Amino acid sequence: MEIFRNMWRRKFRTFLTIFGIVIGIFAFTVMGSMALKLNKMIDGGKRYITGQITISPKGADYMSGTSGMLPVDLLNKIKDVEGVQAVEGGVSLMLDEPDPDDPTAGMSFGEPASIYSFDPNSNFVNKNWQTMDMKEGKLIDASSEKNDISIGINVATDKKWNVGDTVKIRDKDFDVVGIFEKTMTGPDQYVFMNVEVARELFVEQNPFLKSLQEKSDEAAKISEKELSTLPESSRQQIVDAKSFKVEDVSTTASISWKDGVDPEAVVGRIKDQFKTDVIVYSPKEMGEMIDKASATMNAVILGSAMLALIVGLFSIINTMVMSISERTKEIGIKKAIGASPRSIALEYTLEAGVIGLLGGAIGLGLGWLVATIINNMMASKGAEIFLLEPSFMIGVIVFSFVIGIVAGVIPAMRAAKLKVVEAVREL
Amino acid sequence: MNKVIVKAKNINKSYKMSKKNIVKALRGVDIEVKKGDFSAIIGPSGCGKSTLMHILGLLDKPDEGTLEIDGIDMISLPEKKAYRMRAKKIGFIFQGFNLIPTLTALENVVLAGKYGGMTKPKRIRRAKELLSMLGLKDRVNHKPTELSGGQQQRVAIARALMNDPSIILADEPTGELDTKTSMEIMDILKKLNREGKTFLIVTHNMEVANACKKRIRLLDGKND
Repeated sequence: MEIFRNMWRRKFRTFLTIFGIVIGIFAFTVMGSMALKLNKMIDGGKRYITGQITISPKGADYMSGTSGMLPVDLLNKIKDVEGVQAVEGGVSLMLDEPDPDDPTAGMSFGEPASIYSFDPNSNFVNKNWQTMDMKEGKLIDASSEKNDISIGINVATDKKWNVGDTVKIRDKDFDVVGIFEKTMTGPDQYVFMNVEVARELFVEQNPFLKSLQEKSDEAAKISEKELSTLPESSRQQIVDAKSFKVEDVSTTASISWKDGVDPEAVVGRIKDQFKTDVIVYSPKEMGEMIDKASATMNAVILGSAMLALIVGLFSIINTMVMSISERTKEIGIKKAIGASPRSIALEYTLEAGVIGLLGGAIGLGLGWLVATIINNMMASKGAEIFLLEPSFMIGVIVFSFVIGIVAGVIPAMRAAKLKVVEAVREL
Repeated sequence: MNKVIVKAKNINKSYKMSKKNIVKALRGVDIEVKKGDFSAIIGPSGCGKSTLMHILGLLDKPDEGTLEIDGIDMISLPEKKAYRMRAKKIGFIFQGFNLIPTLTALENVVLAGKYGGMTKPKRIRRAKELLSMLGLKDRVNHKPTELSGGQQQRVAIARALMNDPSIILADEPTGELDTKTSMEIMDILKKLNREGKTFLIVTHNMEVANACKKRIRLLDGKND
């Protein structure tokens, strides 16, 4: 009670000090919860990416999304590499076609809503991510119809799609058979789709592949008899056109390794044999790369929040030092009537702790409010950028109290060491 | 024969003001206070009265000499025990009342009980009793700024009595009070003395000194 009265004595100064802490803890809450969300997403991605060997065509950039093609023949050859259990080729593309009049409209924080191709006939198994927890319905499998899809919670919320709905994706009809539980990572934004249908959509959106397919379809109409009547040069073009098959279209492939085999050894063998054709991403390298990126990101985010906190910390130290020099007489009285240095130190440390705690509670409250409002605004787009876990919020409160205590220790020690006789001379 | 409460022998204390300027505040002062005494330390300004009171009140240590309170050697007492000893054995009344401005009269008195190791219910009960005894029953929840000088000094007396100390040291207890209120305060102190309390009053006010049963005179840091 006395602590609050002492704080109330200099209302404006206490307010300014608390305000300093509020800003620090607000920044810490907002940036910390943003870091938590990003880390959660990154962890999910890391779990997935380190559970398989990923390959992309030479010249493609896995990170930037620049794609090329992986021929089926090549994938079949990789299947024969020692230690490889299965190879699954696939395509990935955005769920919504970019609006030609506003191509940046679909851009958002985090992962955009995407189509994740799934081959029900493949033996491929990601070692870390074998199934999805379902909120409703089921995950598409070998028994599903080609146009069945299972969707992430953010896609379901954003598009207002429910299990049993027939929905339109890039002008094709699909039946929603399942919605995943919230994962807080990539799959919340995914539509799991049969790879054959996904390839058709991929070809449809790619002018070059679309033209090849049209030529192939045209060529298919020409009978062997008609073909034989054509001149050699035209005949060759039609044979080439006929050779294009949609099932050949793979922009990326996932490889699983046999049980008990060292995946890095498998990576080494694929690199040795196919280094002119593909880029191989080893689980270990990808894990390290992700760790490095997330460490840098965390350092930047938390570093700036810490900076704000340090400012708050010094404002408490300043307030407490001033407060103690103003209260020298009072400390003298207390010591004269029997207060021990320990009880004096405890009293002032606690006062600083309470300032930290109050600032922390208000800062956390504001941070929570802002994060929740922004999350709610972004939820419909599946781009929640803050993760406010109870353990984090409790941690912030405890941390703000500790910050106050730490800031109060030096001034409190000064108060405790104050020579009674010197303080008493002021009496 | 009354028990000796305070026995100080050959108390010396110097203050180093600068490298070459050392002020000898006390030079071999002897003092003895017995239970039930109502004594005054008198002397002109700068004679060492306050320094002696600080030493007797365990607020400072002498450079040389011995000090016993209730038969306990206070010079070799570790710092930790000195605080508890000060809380339990010594009561202070200051010239400027020295109440904590943010606390009520009751809380100011209770604080002494807290440092003296009393339980919360006991210290609240005793503080109320003392304030009632000193005529402040209806002022317990008032802050010092809401009390007159005489009332503030009565709160300070209650605070000094809180832990039933062996001796009460009063430094110019009427220094900031008008004549009428000074007499009232001295009457209270005398009444408490009649009830068995031991007082050692530092003053340069001869009226106050004359009201005391015994006078100890200091001059230039020595017993006169």
